[in-house]
Amino acid sequence: MDTINTTLKLNHEELFTLLKGFITEVIGEEFVEEMDITPESSFTKDLEMDSIEIVSFSEKIKAHFGDQIDFTGWLSSMDLDQLIDLDLSMIINYIYECQ
Amino acid sequence: MPIITVDNKKVHIQELNKGAEQTVVMIHGMFSNLSIYYFNIAPILAKHFHVVMYDLKSHGMSERFTDGYDLENMSSDVLALMDILHIEKAHLVGYSFGGLIALKTALKAPNRVEQLVVIEAPDPQDEKARNIIDEYSKEFLEHYVANFTDTTKVQMGKRQMEKNHRMYEFLFNQTSIKADMIKEKHFLTEVNLSQLETSTLLLYGSDSNCRPTGESLNAQIEQAELELIPGDHNIPIQEPALIAETIVHFLSQSLSTPLTQNHV
Repeated sequence: MDTINTTLKLNHEELFTLLKGFITEVIGEEFVEEMDITPESSFTKDLEMDSIEIVSFSEKIKAHFGDQIDFTGWLSSMDLDQLIDLDLSMIINYIYECQ
Repeated sequence: MPIITVDNKKVHIQELNKGAEQTVVMIHGMFSNLSIYYFNIAPILAKHFHVVMYDLKSHGMSERFTDGYDLENMSSDVLALMDILHIEKAHLVGYSFGGLIALKTALKAPNRVEQLVVIEAPDPQDEKARNIIDEYSKEFLEHYVANFTDTTKVQMGKRQMEKNHRMYEFLFNQTSIKADMIKEKHFLTEVNLSQLETSTLLLYGSDSNCRPTGESLNAQIEQAELELIPGDHNIPIQEPALIAETIVHFLSQSLSTPLTQNHV
């Protein structure tokens, strides 16, 4: 039997569930209930997250994954237009690649 | 989320590169929050310095308070934060109203301030900022956000509009912020800037309405240098990398080892 723990690496669906949970903690359940969060949801347009909420979200990613990924470093390499267009699937792919 | 208690107030802080030799404390402006530095400017500074960012009271994720928005109180908040974090001396970087807080702190406690960076500090005598408070209404916010917002280029949605409206309404109607700002009206003319011995970098937008204030500060502060950045009052959003690199270059004069060595 395969006893090696391979579950440490989250798949795309698990990452989506995890990140959706972070978003709910940041913007509050009452708002999340009203929206249909999908991997295509953009942070600023669909989720209406402002920059301080994205700070909270980044902190949750940092706390969860530790030094495994440099999420803020990745974000800071983007210009404002790229940040505005950022959607959940781009973050999922980035974290997936870093794991 | 790092929330610490300073003088019985809950303060949201973010720190980068804690082990570095020298510390830079970054102060944001009124109606903004630490995210103005968090994504672009702070990570560049953190390659060489320990960076501390915090949300001013009632801003970002810090606790709400009804009073203490004058420069005396706001500068005491900076020093209290430094005490809690055991930072004896730091470089101060302040943007807009945060630039005035940084300047006030350097005048009040010169032995706690290594070097000073003032970005787009306005002259509080300029009544435009205070008129915003007088004329505040939700319609005004919608107009203001559509035309002058400094945190994002995106049109605000309903939830953000409500969130911002609640913050402005609290600050304008339930706090002493207006009276405290009026109290500071003559700050730049009353203080003796020629006594300021702290080496100071002034960063102003070449097309900014605040540029004359930068030129005036440059003339009065003996150890000052003025750098013009392409843009207006929103230069931290418009030119974050250029601002960060200019600050690193200026502050690195006091590092014990040259910049070519990696401090991280």
